[in-house]
Amino acid sequence: MAWSRLTPGGRALAVLLPILSIGGAALTALLIVAGPFIGATIGANLPIVRFLAASVITFLVTVPVAFLLIYMEMKIIALMNLRIGPDRIGPAGAVMSVVHGLKVLMKEDFTPPSVDVPVFTLAPVVVYLASFMTVMVIPFAPDLTSAGLEFGLLYFFAIGGLGVVGLMMAGWSSFNKYSLLGGIRAAAQAISYEIPLTLSVVGIIILTGTLSLPKIVEAQGGSLLDWFIFRQPLAAIIFFIAITAEANRTPFDNTEADQEIVAGFATEYSGMRFGFFFFAEYVNVFIVSALFSALFLGGSNAPINLPFHPEINVNLGSLGVMLPILAGLAPVAGTLLFAAPIYMVSSKIKGWQALLGGFLIFGALSTAAIGFWAWAMLPPIADLLFFLLKTFALIFTFVWMRGTLPRARIDQLMGFAWKWLLPASLLNLFATAAAVLLTS
Amino acid sequence: MARIPGSGIIRGMGLTLTRFFQPKKTVMYPEVKPDIPPRNRGRLELVTDERGTLKCETCFQCAQACPIECIDMGGTDTKGRYAVHWGPAEQYAERREESAMRRSGRTVSNAAAAQASTIDLRPVEAALERVDYDPHHMLQILEAVQAAYGHLPVDALKRISRATGAWYAMVYGTATFYKHLSFEPGRNRTIAVCRCANCLVAGAGRVIGTLTFEFGTEFGHAIPWSNLRLEALPSHLPDAPSPLVVIDGEPQRDLSSRNAEAWAAALAGRYAA
Amino acid sequence: MTTQQTRPSLDDPRIAIPSTSEWYEPAPTAQTERQAEFLNLRDGEMFINMGPQHPSTHGVLRIVVKVNGEQVVDLDPVLGYLHRGVEKLCENADYHQAICYTDPLEYVASLFCEAAPVAAFEKLMDVEVPRRAQYIRVLTMELNRIASHTLFQGWMALDLGGITPILWSFIERDEIVDMLAALTGQKLLYNYYRIGGVNGDLNHEFMSRLGNWMSRAAAQIDSNTGLINENELFVRRTRGLGTLDQATALRMGVTGPNLRATGVPFDLRRDHPYLVYPELEFNVPTRDEGDSLARYMVRIDEIRESIRIIDQVLHEMPDGPVMAKLPRLIRPRPGRAFGAVEGPRGAYGVYAISDGTDQPFRMRIHDPSFVHLQLVGPLTRGNLIADTMAVMASLDPVMGGVDK
Repeated sequence: MAWSRLTPGGRALAVLLPILSIGGAALTALLIVAGPFIGATIGANLPIVRFLAASVITFLVTVPVAFLLIYMEMKIIALMNLRIGPDRIGPAGAVMSVVHGLKVLMKEDFTPPSVDVPVFTLAPVVVYLASFMTVMVIPFAPDLTSAGLEFGLLYFFAIGGLGVVGLMMAGWSSFNKYSLLGGIRAAAQAISYEIPLTLSVVGIIILTGTLSLPKIVEAQGGSLLDWFIFRQPLAAIIFFIAITAEANRTPFDNTEADQEIVAGFATEYSGMRFGFFFFAEYVNVFIVSALFSALFLGGSNAPINLPFHPEINVNLGSLGVMLPILAGLAPVAGTLLFAAPIYMVSSKIKGWQALLGGFLIFGALSTAAIGFWAWAMLPPIADLLFFLLKTFALIFTFVWMRGTLPRARIDQLMGFAWKWLLPASLLNLFATAAAVLLTS
Repeated sequence: MARIPGSGIIRGMGLTLTRFFQPKKTVMYPEVKPDIPPRNRGRLELVTDERGTLKCETCFQCAQACPIECIDMGGTDTKGRYAVHWGPAEQYAERREESAMRRSGRTVSNAAAAQASTIDLRPVEAALERVDYDPHHMLQILEAVQAAYGHLPVDALKRISRATGAWYAMVYGTATFYKHLSFEPGRNRTIAVCRCANCLVAGAGRVIGTLTFEFGTEFGHAIPWSNLRLEALPSHLPDAPSPLVVIDGEPQRDLSSRNAEAWAAALAGRYAA
Repeated sequence: MTTQQTRPSLDDPRIAIPSTSEWYEPAPTAQTERQAEFLNLRDGEMFINMGPQHPSTHGVLRIVVKVNGEQVVDLDPVLGYLHRGVEKLCENADYHQAICYTDPLEYVASLFCEAAPVAAFEKLMDVEVPRRAQYIRVLTMELNRIASHTLFQGWMALDLGGITPILWSFIERDEIVDMLAALTGQKLLYNYYRIGGVNGDLNHEFMSRLGNWMSRAAAQIDSNTGLINENELFVRRTRGLGTLDQATALRMGVTGPNLRATGVPFDLRRDHPYLVYPELEFNVPTRDEGDSLARYMVRIDEIRESIRIIDQVLHEMPDGPVMAKLPRLIRPRPGRAFGAVEGPRGAYGVYAISDGTDQPFRMRIHDPSFVHLQLVGPLTRGNLIADTMAVMASLDPVMGGVDK
């Protein structure tokens, strides 16, 4: 048939077109017939539907986040090592991590003989589940959390601690001594650092009087100095060190120290099961960074409370037929407008250079204008941007630390938790409580 | 030296951050090839003169001087009898210099033992001489050798391989490919019995039974103590008065359904003797 | 007639049920030494087999570690995965070819593996090396020492979990290796020294690369060391770890930086001078602590001394031939000679016996890494698994030389 003569795009179209047309027709028919019924059902069970949608979106959010983090780690560490890093697939190698994910998917899902098969199979699921369940309480922006639980912080610590069970399961069931050591290290480390982690945020809980993450973020509204990193600096330092250990990041990545215990709990894993561990690690990094920015960096609050909030009410529809003409002419006119002074300023600048410069200036200005408009019209977008900016700055710090620091030894790590972090967090707690008592 | 705890860490972090913005050292390999210094001794090449002919005169001195024996050569003589060989070193007679083999950990042939075990190779030499040592006439050589010895001795094959420069594996392959070339002294003899319904009715079953009993073997197998094989003929199915038995391609006429058993016993007795 | 076999059942009165003690198999008797160790494991102990394929064993070294939890109870390096019988190979090659065989022993700094046999053979032949060749040898050897030590610095950090220093080290090493490639033709196994000289005079490309590198080498290496030298995590992990005392070091035959880190200022370049070292000015850096950090710091100091030596050599380089007049076929008189050089890992020596033929009758190669590897056990006993790697890295063995 003509199949062999089709281009790859043509083949994809030939497959997709019938599916889409038939599926579209079927969906339309279904909506016509059962539309009112479906609408009524959704309306009647709104909480359940909302929960389902939130969980699916949360689950789907973790995947690109993990890809982005893996790419960031590869690229940033490479740049610090004076290398270029991934640069072949996608712009600046940005799709590299996706290809990594596909590679992991395509590998053989191998179960070694003499492992404890059910536990071995479940372990990555538990680890991934624990990390993606905690995404649900992260306050991306006001009204933009999957579950704005009243006890969000407690939920976070409870579910976050569940991940270590998965690591223990992986370490125990793998029938490998390195895995066993890795699993035990993970358990010891997580238990030690859970305590200063939890104690360090009690100060914030005392100050705000709530366990709800959106409310804690709300309490930091206002200016830069309202952020808890300035009101609770000691707690911020303790919390940062503790989440580094919780997320198994350098210098506390003893659970999977290559040089000592090969790959720790993940030694016997391959294929997508290893991929789950890998993903969970990076999702964890994202989560702890998000939590830090929500607790200490003001979450979705802007660093400076802008004095005015412009009200722009341009009804684009009133322009009528002029709108498309304007939209077509504006770039040309803008480019020429900005190119003219560049062209005139020096005779060395050629015409095309001036035009390019003009286009770039116009592009930057129009993008800024549209961004400003979006920020003005849609506050959640601005809030989300601020939140992500802070979170990714923290993620950059984590990667930066990985690129710089050697690993702490396991006994030094435990000693540090119990001898320094725990007393410091207690001190912080007492100081905060005393201050609250004295001022009130 | 009293220092603030963590200052070393912070200094290191600052250092990595400055390196983050510095120019990178990566060599973009497939696009940018590194310069090979003129003194590089990495690749071995045969040098040609300005007319494009090889300057190498195949003295094998480089191969002999090479301490780790990575140089290995073949050659071309003036009559064009040899091609240049590329391949494992074991194939070339000229690299079978004793000390070289010993150093590279290979077994060294014992000259005395080789003398004792060789057959008279004069017919082989004659056959080779006739085709001027050309490996392209391998079949002709092998047929001549087969005619001379009655079969193909292994030593003759080795000699052919060594003299013509053809790989032993190729000589061996040629010898096994043709049915009429044989490695065993004496021709193989085949007793083939038809097992179609007519023949079985006429007594082929009794022939088969007797033969297998007498020879102690099964159909399709060689008989261990002789060069005989018992084989089944493809069904022939004409209207047969007697079982069809073919020995070495010759159908046997002197047996009928009545004397089949005795005939087979006699045949077995003849061969056993 | 066949009787039908019935499966034995426990109700069958004819079957005697064994008592509980008989159910267990008798305790197995050990067939090998390793098996005996397994059977004698105490409660809570286990064996971990590190290597030959482990992320941080240098080369193909296998270490059998007996651990109690994370603590190393005992440790047993298993050697021989890289054994090629180099000494025997050398005895079956002529004198020039033998240099090729010793070359890849310490593949990180292979010029020293050439220098030692060449020194021994030159003593056998009683040949005077031209002064320019001597200076060139000193120059290239010091460059190679820097290349080896910078790489060590990265290794050390990598084995402690830092991933950046190794790549920065490789940048420095690549520069040196590239300039040596311009001089010798090869990047790893140079095969540059010949009996009676070197295989080619300094060329323009080498000198220009060397000049470029020298102008910023000291600053660059200082900057690289700034990443971990004062890092608290690094210092806390290495200080007091694997402390080697002077007496043990001398008794075990430790040489090189590992010995100097215990406070013994022994350096072949100064104490048993060869080539033109007596005419050059340099210090022998020592430390008194003898721990992993001291071993690390001694090597960092040696880099600076080497840069100083290279400076002097470049200023005093005489003109002249680089190869002595020698017959094509080296056929020394019967006799014996020992040639030794101070390598980046310690004293590297070759003892050669000639019987008057063109092949050495006997060649004994002394490799410092082999000596140092026997320290891994005593130094890590009682420490943690993670420390095994730190001690290993600080001793800096190269398995090519250990297994020979």
